Amino acid sequence: MASWRHSITLRLSLAFAALATLVFAALGVYLGRSADAHMAELDAHELLGKLTLVRNVGARENSPEALAARLGDALVGEHGVMVAVDGEKGAIFRWPADGPAAGLVTATASVGETPVRLALGGRDFRVVAGTVHTAWGEPARVVVARDIRHHTDFLDELQRDFWLALVAAALLTMIVGIVVARRGMQPVRAIAAAAGRISAGQLAERIPEANVPPELAELVSAFNAMLGRLEESFQRLSDFSADLAHELRTPLHALRMQTEVSLTKPRNGDEYRDLLASSLEEYERLSRMIADMLFLAKAEHGLVIPQKETLALMDLCRQLVDYYGILAELLQLDLDGENLAIEGDRLMLQRAIGNLLVNAIQHTPAPGRVTLTVRRHDGMAEIVVGNSGPQIPAAALRTIFERFVRADQGGEGSGLGLAIARSIVRAHGGSITARSSATGTEFIVALPLAETPAG
Amino acid sequence: MKILIVEDEAKTGDYLRQGLAEAGFTADLVRNGVDGMHEGLAGDHDLLILDVNLPGLDGWQVLKALRAAGRDLPVLFLTARDQVEDRVKGLELGADDYLIKPFAFSELLARVRTLLRRDRIREVRTLALADLELDILKRRATRAGKRIDLTAKEFALLELFLRRQGEVLSRSFIASQVWDMNFDSDTNVVEVAIRRLRAKVDDDFTPRLIHTLRGMGYVMEIR
Repeated sequence: MASWRHSITLRLSLAFAALATLVFAALGVYLGRSADAHMAELDAHELLGKLTLVRNVGARENSPEALAARLGDALVGEHGVMVAVDGEKGAIFRWPADGPAAGLVTATASVGETPVRLALGGRDFRVVAGTVHTAWGEPARVVVARDIRHHTDFLDELQRDFWLALVAAALLTMIVGIVVARRGMQPVRAIAAAAGRISAGQLAERIPEANVPPELAELVSAFNAMLGRLEESFQRLSDFSADLAHELRTPLHALRMQTEVSLTKPRNGDEYRDLLASSLEEYERLSRMIADMLFLAKAEHGLVIPQKETLALMDLCRQLVDYYGILAELLQLDLDGENLAIEGDRLMLQRAIGNLLVNAIQHTPAPGRVTLTVRRHDGMAEIVVGNSGPQIPAAALRTIFERFVRADQGGEGSGLGLAIARSIVRAHGGSITARSSATGTEFIVALPLAETPAG
Repeated sequence: MKILIVEDEAKTGDYLRQGLAEAGFTADLVRNGVDGMHEGLAGDHDLLILDVNLPGLDGWQVLKALRAAGRDLPVLFLTARDQVEDRVKGLELGADDYLIKPFAFSELLARVRTLLRRDRIREVRTLALADLELDILKRRATRAGKRIDLTAKEFALLELFLRRQGEVLSRSFIASQVWDMNFDSDTNVVEVAIRRLRAKVDDDFTPRLIHTLRGMGYVMEIR
């Protein structure tokens, strides 16, 4: 039952039923009151008519006896009406002759010409009273009473029927409420069903937005957008896995071949040592590649968070030139520029710029030139790594920062260096671009300048 | 020197112990955190190699318990997760150094030796091996009495080799010590630098002092 406690359907239908009951009840009370008032008016009209009749007769007849006889004639066939006329000397007329009419005058001493409800002899009456100026000069008091039992019976019956109708209506609105609410919830169930159909292999599934009520359109479009993002990340992840599998397979294959071949016949210790050393080199490459892939995966998900400190770019670059310059024996390697300060992670930026520098050195045939320049441009610090190497075709330049893309087919290196450089630069809120012409290639890293200059 | 290894992964633990024993250390191996804590508290080890991911009590808890009990032996922790928080946490808890798996064994050995000698660094004026001499203060190198001209980095490299005679130095350790390059790079910068250094200090002399251990790194010793 716990699920019913918060059921929208149940709550809606109960609310419908409660509202309907309230409206019907208010209507019932109003109708009951007006029926009552209407009955009272009818009764008053009749009572006052009878009073007028007695007055008119009384004004014409010359004796109490004649009055009584005349009234008796006039009232023949009247049921449920009592009329009593009393003179100074006592009762002149009673209708009907027996029953509660006998004590009618004494019981209604305080009643006037406004109808009043009275209980007499266990029955309900409406009563009016007045004075008759008789033709014989004696003033007389007239009381007219109307038995209103059939009216109250009618009202009671009406009320009973009404309550029954009220209960029926409440039940009916509740049922209708459930049906309507269920139908209203249909799109929600459709969303749930669509969500249920979605699995890793079917991320292309979308909930049709055409027939969705406007109240749910926002939910549906947000849901679809979420699916879109999921599909995209999932695609990236699949590509990533495929790339990784491919790149790992090559060194694994080499390892396996050389191990198998070595085991085909007994060899001496030196040969085994060579095999193990060669395997070790492959293992190192493999674990470096895995570490790089992990770094890229983390970067893609915004998990690479630079530990920022204020860095002087020329100092950083000089250190890199010191190190990688060893590889540029036959090249001219120049460092030039302004010692601009940025906020960044020393290790990461060493790695990013180092990758660019190695890339430039490796792609410049001797005798050639590699330049590293730090400059201020458009409010950013720019590090330009230029070389005099061959032009990179525009098509290759577009994908050069993607992982496992190597400008020269079969080149050494993991093919991850530039991808890593880009993710590091991006994690620092910077940008990286490449341009190439017949005279050389330039990689430009733009990083936000530090607020305070480096010490 | 006694080293305690706390490592739950069977192969890694066994080879760590074998490698350290063959490098001349007395190495004890336990395979879970609870034993590690007891051994660490009760034993007389000079250094603790502590894996972070352990069954039962993890490495952090072991480290905390040891430091809380006043055991201040150097601790080198091993983690498979390359997370900054992990490193910071370990160092905050009182570890002295860390390595991220997978690492080169020679790297571990170098770190272990650094940690063990940390408290007995002695200032020396000259370093020597065979007829190779290095005057640290005058920044001068001679071999067989002949002066050798070295660049600043070559001098630093040679000084590292001489200070660490007989130890296998991995490429990444050398890059980090000499050039302050603290990331693995798949370039052969160190190889080239050593080739040049050899040309100056080794090629024209006997015996040869700098030896290559394929796949491992370099070692300076008289063979």
